[in-house]
Amino acid sequence: MRLLTILLTALTLALTVLATGPTRVEAQGRSLALLAATGPQRTDRIEAELVPMSAWATPGSTVIVAVRQKIEPGWHTYWRNPGDSGGPTTLDWTLPGGVTAGDIVWPLPERQRLQTLMNFGYSGVVYLPVPIEVPASARPGETLRLRADALFMVCSDEMCVPDELTLALDVPVREGAAPLDPRHGAAIQAVVETAPRPAGITARAGLADGVLTLTATGGPLTGATPRQAFFFSFKGGLIDHAAVQTGERGPDGVTLKIKGGRGLLTNGLTGPVAGVLMTDAGAWEIEAAPGPALAGAAGDGALSGDEAKAGAAMGLGGFARAALFALLGGLILNLMPCVFPILAMKAASLARSAHEPGEARRDGLAFLTGVLATFLALAGALLALRAGGQAIGWGFQLQSPAVVGGLALLILAVGLNLSGVFEIGGGLQAAGQGRLSRLPGGAGAFFTGVLAVVVAAPCTAPFMAVALGAALLMPWPMALTVFAMLGLGLALPYVAISLSPGLLRRFPRPGAWMERLKALLAFPMYGAALWLAWVFARQTGQDALALLFVAGLLAALTLWLFGVRQTERAEGRPGRLALIAALVSLIAFAGAGWLALRAPAAATGEATSSGPLASQPWSEAAVAAARAEGRPVLVNFTADWCVTCKINERGALSSARVAEAMTAANAVYLVGDWTRRDDAITRELERHGRSGVPLYLFYAPGADTPRILPQLLGEGVVIDALSGRS
Amino acid sequence: MIRLLTAASAALLLAACQQPASAPEKTDAPAASATRTAPNFTLVDADGAQRSLADFRGKTVVLEWTNEGCPYVKKHYTGAMQALQRAATADGVVWLTIISSAPGTQGFVQGAEAKAWKAKHSAAFTHLLLDPTGEVGRLYDAKTTPDMRVIDAEGRLIYVGGIDDKPTNKVEDLQGATNYVQAALDDVEAKRPVRTAFAQPYGCSIKYADEQA
Repeated sequence: MRLLTILLTALTLALTVLATGPTRVEAQGRSLALLAATGPQRTDRIEAELVPMSAWATPGSTVIVAVRQKIEPGWHTYWRNPGDSGGPTTLDWTLPGGVTAGDIVWPLPERQRLQTLMNFGYSGVVYLPVPIEVPASARPGETLRLRADALFMVCSDEMCVPDELTLALDVPVREGAAPLDPRHGAAIQAVVETAPRPAGITARAGLADGVLTLTATGGPLTGATPRQAFFFSFKGGLIDHAAVQTGERGPDGVTLKIKGGRGLLTNGLTGPVAGVLMTDAGAWEIEAAPGPALAGAAGDGALSGDEAKAGAAMGLGGFARAALFALLGGLILNLMPCVFPILAMKAASLARSAHEPGEARRDGLAFLTGVLATFLALAGALLALRAGGQAIGWGFQLQSPAVVGGLALLILAVGLNLSGVFEIGGGLQAAGQGRLSRLPGGAGAFFTGVLAVVVAAPCTAPFMAVALGAALLMPWPMALTVFAMLGLGLALPYVAISLSPGLLRRFPRPGAWMERLKALLAFPMYGAALWLAWVFARQTGQDALALLFVAGLLAALTLWLFGVRQTERAEGRPGRLALIAALVSLIAFAGAGWLALRAPAAATGEATSSGPLASQPWSEAAVAAARAEGRPVLVNFTADWCVTCKINERGALSSARVAEAMTAANAVYLVGDWTRRDDAITRELERHGRSGVPLYLFYAPGADTPRILPQLLGEGVVIDALSGRS
Repeated sequence: MIRLLTAASAALLLAACQQPASAPEKTDAPAASATRTAPNFTLVDADGAQRSLADFRGKTVVLEWTNEGCPYVKKHYTGAMQALQRAATADGVVWLTIISSAPGTQGFVQGAEAKAWKAKHSAAFTHLLLDPTGEVGRLYDAKTTPDMRVIDAEGRLIYVGGIDDKPTNKVEDLQGATNYVQAALDDVEAKRPVRTAFAQPYGCSIKYADEQA
């Protein structure tokens, strides 16, 4: 009997094990994915991580995740066409049911020359964004585990190592528009928005005597005056990757002459040549069909293809020109509303020193030193960051909302000073009173110089953009000299006045007019503060703006209380109450200020209208009616909480050129708002095999079925569709 | 101040008038036709004997650039390359494996190491030629390892380029890949023109010695 029990138990156990076998394998597969660790994975050469652009995924939308690579110096990974050697980064995805991954959105690669070979790739910190479709059936509250088996061919000059890393990321599913991920969101969004995309450029290719002639016109090339151009082919073998590409530009576009690659020379030009055309005016995807050269692509001057050559051609002439432009830019900067008041008041205070030329000279030189030191420090920081691999330009300090908010508060404070709410270093009444609160020597003038540069940063004058763009391409001693010239230009009027006793004597004597002027000049400062607050709001949103307003209010209160204390002290009273109140207010201000400046840069969740494009609500009847009239129809299925939709609407769908193309084609633009998940739209999405937004459909006149446009739209894609090009 | 502005404006006008010198038009030498004569060369093999391409006139010759440290070469040397070498040499093809790595770089071998290379990799080439100056590699414009050339009995280059059409380092991609060298050799044996005369080579860059300025 016992034996029977044992046998039966064993049999049951065996059957149970067998029955759960298949599910166990499935579970193993799932748990394998679970075993993959999230967070950065490392080898000796590269650290890679799967990071999200948004804080969460909304069901039925496309989210963007990116493979963040941090590559050791001396090593690099490759673009989709690696060039003469190496291989592109590949991703093998394991995703939960219903979730699909798109192709990598490749940022513009660097050219990496290795003796006679040329490679296209990346070094330092790189983000490779990938769009991930999340089905509408995803439930808020669950987490999606994304796993990518990544193969990085990491090469140095000496060897290549295939580093395989398994990357994983947990994406929470929630409703509503997701803000940007605080650590990587802004960087990934920048890559997505600037990655080369089709832009409606027409291109032709011709092969003669072993040279491929590419002509490209139209789109953003019309009217642009590029100085450099380079063509990156998507396929190897078509062009000689290492050969210098020369060309010229014309009123409508550019011509490039490229030495043909061995594949092209052996097989001839049998099909279109596709790739990325990079110029200093931008980089776009082009596809050049075989054919005669286009008109308007030549005649206006030569282009340089080789980066090093362009730098050398810069030479002394270019440097002198950049320096001169910088000087002029600095001079003009004096007139900017945020700078002008400071300098005007400083100049007016010089009138006091009209009879002490020594003091005036010292002040002038201290001011110049302050300006130059600050400009060189900022320029040094910019160059160091660029050398470290960050793709930033002048004005980089203004991309951080914290800096913009802080500057707004600072300018507000300066404005309040000009309005007389409080004093720094003694008021104008100090003339002849020798107040101790006046800063010794030229230190006051030095800090005024620093302040002038800090508040000038947001206002870029014309001329400056040209000079600074050129400066960033030069070797660093020349670049720093250009920035120093900018500082010189800014300081020049003040220095000129302070060094010239004749000019000083022409100043009217100090008097009531100075108070009036000072109060008047406060208003441009307030204007500048308001403008910066507006920029801050665009970067962070209404809530952070409200916090900034509160911080500004508390700042004004604090400064007024300090001013009250100063008045009391001037009248001989201790002014302790005012001091305590001011300190309390200061603490409150610090709290509000910190909260406001912490606000992360958010993708604007508000339902921005699609720019200049006039739209009608989508319905099947509307589509049928438009098609019956023979008009092309562009349908945009979007939702307020869909981040990718917003990126496209801010970019491709708001562009003036797309609007023109729509009017020219007499097209109808219909927008299907799926914010509340209407059944009608859900059915339409399913009909096209999709379960989420964005979905862009284009009905060409006469076509039976609509074309589905890519999820990451470029204006070129829309324009090509409208003009009938496939 | 006025004087300064006037001077600045004048300088600006002068600067603006300056036209950038136009770069001279580059005219390329006419490219060699697809079938050109394979240039002759002489190299020392692993055993110290001198070998010239001219020695093998009248036979089909395969040139293979290699570097044992390169992941792409390692993929082919798991057996496929050796099998191809064996089959080809059995058919009377002369297989020359060339190492163009500079001294001190990955792939470079000399002396006893060079003598032991063939046995170490169970290879079946005819000769292992050492090209430490990179002269022959540059002569043939070899860029990667592996990079292949097939020369017919009359001394013409009939195939130039990569070994197959799957440019990865994964061994499983050998399955189902079209091996262009095999195809070229088959075409030669069937006495027909080689159908694919060029394919994009892939692999690691050849570690050439620095060129003299």
